[in-house]
Amino acid sequence: MCRTRLYRAVWFGVAGLWWLAVAVCPRAVAEDGSFSRGPWPFVPLARPEPPPANPWCLNPIDAFVWQELAAAGLQPNIEADRAALLRRVTFDLTGLFPTPAEQAEFLADPAPDAYERLVDRLLASPLYGERQAQFWLDLVRYAETDGFKADGHRPLAYKYRDYVIAAFNADLPYDRFLLQQLAGDELEPANPQALAATGFLRLYPDEYNAANLEQRRQEILDDLTETVGLALLGLTVGCARCHDHKFDELSQEEYYRFQAFFAALVERDDLWAGTVEAHQQYATQLAAWEQATAGLRGEIEALIGPAREALRSDALGKFRAEIQAAVLAGDAERTPYQKQIAALAMKQVTARDGEAAARLSEQARARFEQLCKELAAFDALRPAPPETFMAVSDVGPEAPPTCVLAGGNWQQPLQAVDPGFPALIGGGTPQVRPLSGQTTGRRAALARWLVRADHPLTARVAVNRIWQQHLGVGLIPTANDFGAQGEPATHPQLLDWLAAELVESGWSLKHIHRLIVTSATYRQSSSVGTHPDAALALARDPSNRLLWRARRRRLEGEAARDCMLQCAGTLERRMNGPSARPELPDNVSPNYAWQPDTDPASRNRRSIYVLAKRNLRYPLFEVFDQPDLHHSCPRRPVTTTAPQALYLLHSELVRQQAAAWADRLLAAHGADVHAIIEAAFRQAFCRAPQQDELSQVAAFMAARTSDYRLAAARNAPGQGEPGTPASSPAGSAGPPHGTQGATAAAPPSLPGNQPAAAVPPAEPVQPAEAARAREPSQASGERDTTAGRDSPDPGGTPDPGGTPDPGGTPQPGPTPEAALRAAVADFCHVLLNTNEFMYVD
Amino acid sequence: MFRPPPSLPCALSRRELLLRAGSGFGAVALAWLGAHDGWAMPGPSATGKPGLAPGPAADVPQHRTPPDGHVNPLAPRPPHFAARARSVIWLFLDGGPSHIDLFDPKPALTKLDGQPLPPSVPRPVTAMGRTAHTPLLASKRQFSQHGQSGLWVSDWYPLLARHADELAVIRSCHADGLNHVGSVCQMNTGSILGGKPSLGAWCVYGLGSEADNLPAFVVLADYPEDPPGGGRNWGTGFMPAQYQGTRLREGPQPILHLTPPAGQTAANLRHKLDLLQALNARHQALRPEEDQLAARMAAYELAWRMQRDAPEAIDLASETAATRQLYGLDREETRRLGQCCLLARRLVERGVRFVQIYCGSGSKWDAHRDVEGNHARRCLESDRPFAGLLADLKSRGLLESTLVVWGGEFGRTPMSESGDGRDHNPWGFTVWLAGAHVRPGTYGATDELGLYALEPRVHVRDLHATILHLLGLDHKRLVWPHHGLDERLTGTGGRVLHELVG
Repeated sequence: MCRTRLYRAVWFGVAGLWWLAVAVCPRAVAEDGSFSRGPWPFVPLARPEPPPANPWCLNPIDAFVWQELAAAGLQPNIEADRAALLRRVTFDLTGLFPTPAEQAEFLADPAPDAYERLVDRLLASPLYGERQAQFWLDLVRYAETDGFKADGHRPLAYKYRDYVIAAFNADLPYDRFLLQQLAGDELEPANPQALAATGFLRLYPDEYNAANLEQRRQEILDDLTETVGLALLGLTVGCARCHDHKFDELSQEEYYRFQAFFAALVERDDLWAGTVEAHQQYATQLAAWEQATAGLRGEIEALIGPAREALRSDALGKFRAEIQAAVLAGDAERTPYQKQIAALAMKQVTARDGEAAARLSEQARARFEQLCKELAAFDALRPAPPETFMAVSDVGPEAPPTCVLAGGNWQQPLQAVDPGFPALIGGGTPQVRPLSGQTTGRRAALARWLVRADHPLTARVAVNRIWQQHLGVGLIPTANDFGAQGEPATHPQLLDWLAAELVESGWSLKHIHRLIVTSATYRQSSSVGTHPDAALALARDPSNRLLWRARRRRLEGEAARDCMLQCAGTLERRMNGPSARPELPDNVSPNYAWQPDTDPASRNRRSIYVLAKRNLRYPLFEVFDQPDLHHSCPRRPVTTTAPQALYLLHSELVRQQAAAWADRLLAAHGADVHAIIEAAFRQAFCRAPQQDELSQVAAFMAARTSDYRLAAARNAPGQGEPGTPASSPAGSAGPPHGTQGATAAAPPSLPGNQPAAAVPPAEPVQPAEAARAREPSQASGERDTTAGRDSPDPGGTPDPGGTPDPGGTPQPGPTPEAALRAAVADFCHVLLNTNEFMYVD
Repeated sequence: MFRPPPSLPCALSRRELLLRAGSGFGAVALAWLGAHDGWAMPGPSATGKPGLAPGPAADVPQHRTPPDGHVNPLAPRPPHFAARARSVIWLFLDGGPSHIDLFDPKPALTKLDGQPLPPSVPRPVTAMGRTAHTPLLASKRQFSQHGQSGLWVSDWYPLLARHADELAVIRSCHADGLNHVGSVCQMNTGSILGGKPSLGAWCVYGLGSEADNLPAFVVLADYPEDPPGGGRNWGTGFMPAQYQGTRLREGPQPILHLTPPAGQTAANLRHKLDLLQALNARHQALRPEEDQLAARMAAYELAWRMQRDAPEAIDLASETAATRQLYGLDREETRRLGQCCLLARRLVERGVRFVQIYCGSGSKWDAHRDVEGNHARRCLESDRPFAGLLADLKSRGLLESTLVVWGGEFGRTPMSESGDGRDHNPWGFTVWLAGAHVRPGTYGATDELGLYALEPRVHVRDLHATILHLLGLDHKRLVWPHHGLDERLTGTGGRVLHELVG
């Protein structure tokens, strides 16, 4: 404790001297914003020399950690046992547990580099990108809906999520990752991935039918400024919106100069990536179609135009005169600001276009429909619509003015400002030039500045997040606040070294992951009991800031669901595409409930693909600390509550997965209870049960089996069974990725379904009451063409094609097999609730 | 000072040392389970215990650091100063009730019926745009004065009017939003933009829970629909989910996943829990340093008790026929809201900190047309339940320790919409408080037409500050560190209405 205080005192002392030096020395700010010397970590990135290594060290990370430990007179913990390490690293890199086959392979591999090869295999798995994406999506407050009252669906948002997963999997250099997200439309207009990346700038909550558009525009800009500051710079710039930052050296003017980089932004759902030739070809084909259909379309327009214009005029009428003027002006006459306001207004003005046909007289409508049919005959001439994205661009080469706003109020503009970098990070005014006739070049200038090799924050912030992910707490614990209000770094030199490694490796994130998870620091046991001198370590560093042991971590709600589905063998591995809509409990908000996918495999996709809806988070995720989807979240809280326990005990989801897991175990091991228990322990805990556990569970199963038989005997036929387990989800997907060995070939339900049929499933597979949602199901309509490309071939797995209970008629009392099945399901249900399942050592 | 962010795994822990010293799971579980034993709520009649007095005493909690996430975060925490109420029942009239037809009579409006807004009155930007220019619409209600304070109440609330001397009617409220979602959000969270913690969550964070086996913050609604924005109105924004409201719904599972699904017996559940805790205990024994594991085991026992006890708390069957009639459970038109109000009393009785009832849930007070027909219906549904609630709380001695809040997200305009309706009015509207020893009477005023609140106006932030104050919490000291700021419910503003608090 004392030592920790001492560290703090020293840190603050040093930092204070820096601040003093910075305050009194006039700062040289070059025109292009070269990074001046400020307090760490605002100094330019430079690579420190690692301290001398010793036999404990496996790579330079350990030398830095050792140095601090030694200074405190502490030793590191022993290495975690092999199985625990396998489970930890597999979970950290892929978000799933190692399968029994993977366990057997690794535990039997005597090669000295077995662990390193394991890490390489995990980093190469597509599961890696899916796991890493969740952290990034938390950070950029990813959601697929608007929020506000309507919470409208954003049909193209998932392409941004797919972009992030693909980028991590391909180890897209982090600098390019940022360049694409901030300015993909400006820098790589011919690259569809770069357009998808600009979805980053579209993730703000939005009220498309806002009455006050000027305010809405300012709220969007504020949201973007704050999020970019938090996520990419690790700075709480939002504090300076209304007044100069109280703690960091960031003035209100600097806030608005930073905001000016985004001032010209406009939403674009119509951009598509292609070469100049492709665009020309498309235009030529379209012109040909337009020429061929000019007469027809003219006739259609004459019919429908007046009705549509009446609707539009009605919608326009509710706006103030200034906004109406912006909408009615020709594009050439509009100022850049008017262009933005008009774009916002047009979303509302055109919202009811589809109702125009219904307003025609019966005769006119018949004629209209006839003409539309005739027009459709020309579809062959029309070029196929290219793929578009939820993207952005600028209103043009000129940006609307950005003003400092008194108190952050859009109605009280003060002086106008140009884009500029905060003095805290070097300051300066960028060289902004339009890259094409379409954009201002401001975002490209910001992005290039961010990814400069000597940028003080970009790399440090990024590696700190990876460290936090694997070690539980960042080297700077406040991952979104590197400023004066944040917590001091525990190992500043290590942070610098890792950041330099990131830049020098060509911004390879996988390189950083590999360095960290192969370090001796990471491989330590998390147990206090294994430490050579635990009493001293606990006394000197009770919070483990110096890393004398690994930190135990709980699974997030998303990961818990994935691992449950993995155990049950129901996890659907299909990547990408429109989001999954799993079943909802039948008493969630009817305003915002979604229609579940009809196809069970779609419902069982990984959690990263579950619809991210601002006004209705998936209940399991919400109860396990999923952040609110409106704001950037650098690190989730970990709470422990009774509702979490109730969810895992009583929800359909968990009970269904337990039943499916039971079926899987029974299929592989028959009625051999000991074999079932052992296989389940291996799958869930990555270890065999101890003898006392084995006998305890076996006794539980015997008692439960007997209870079920007794209960069945008491109940007259057809009156249902107390304690009937949930049915397994219909159409359970094939085995999860990588499942091999003993359970790999297990069909999702018992062969022949005879024993299963004896216990009637408690619930229908698709709860009808959940089908009252308002949103149309996307399941069939939007099936993505890439779907299934990474799925295991389900061909070898018999698809029961429905419930495992085709007969449906209750049998006269459960057979011994059915009672056992119910008992095994209870056991599986218990395992899914255990601390050992929910924690990674 | 060093301030750990919420639930930092490294933030710990003399507890770790304690565990290391061998106190183990049992002690932590006990701390969790019995945390509120021995803590008594200081009521207004408390005999001035020194530690609870307002002022900068050393032991006055600042709430500058969120509680360590590993122990029971809902353990009761002492207030900043002596509280006047320990619970809140918030009657939220979803959609915006017309103050000028209920509590704020406007003779001048009657005179100007059918005429445009006088040129002297600035025209606001209205939600529907055109309603800045539509003719004024007089109220068709008869107003009369009630109680010793001579409170004006319209004939739509005859039963509630009998409680005139309980009500502190604030006529000069104003808010920032124009649309329902932003305004409902602001009334709940202080901000028209989503993502901030709700008032109920702040209260639970500040005071913890006194309800042993019940959620600390419960949300009820008379209709199946949610208010605009849904669950984020009782969400926790940047705070952890443990403080959020629990929405009770109609049907066999009023609390999500509270009880085992049909066919699962309690014996079966207990049997499974026993195996679970045995496996957990074995796991924990090898990891005695990890209090999170013990806390999680305790959470399962709490869950067990909740599923055992909560059904009784929300079962109205044991209420007498007289009580049921008092709330209007015997009448079709008042049954829905009456049930919510009666349930609220039962919950408050059992120590639930914050109960919010959405009345006309799903924006049903939103009378853009036919304000007469709409509000007549809504008032018929709500008059008896509200009056019954006040009477029942009073007769049971609960009104002194319970703050009742009545209000919508905004009021309605004196200008007409669609001829006989009214548009949203966030510039001036009425909210009333009752119970918790608030001083009854009428506070503040709107202009002659009921469009704009007059100074001194009462912003949503002022209402929030006052509600927290009545619960013994200083809105300036109830903070949560987030993104470098000490976030408050009231932002940088908020004024306690001391004239009303007394």
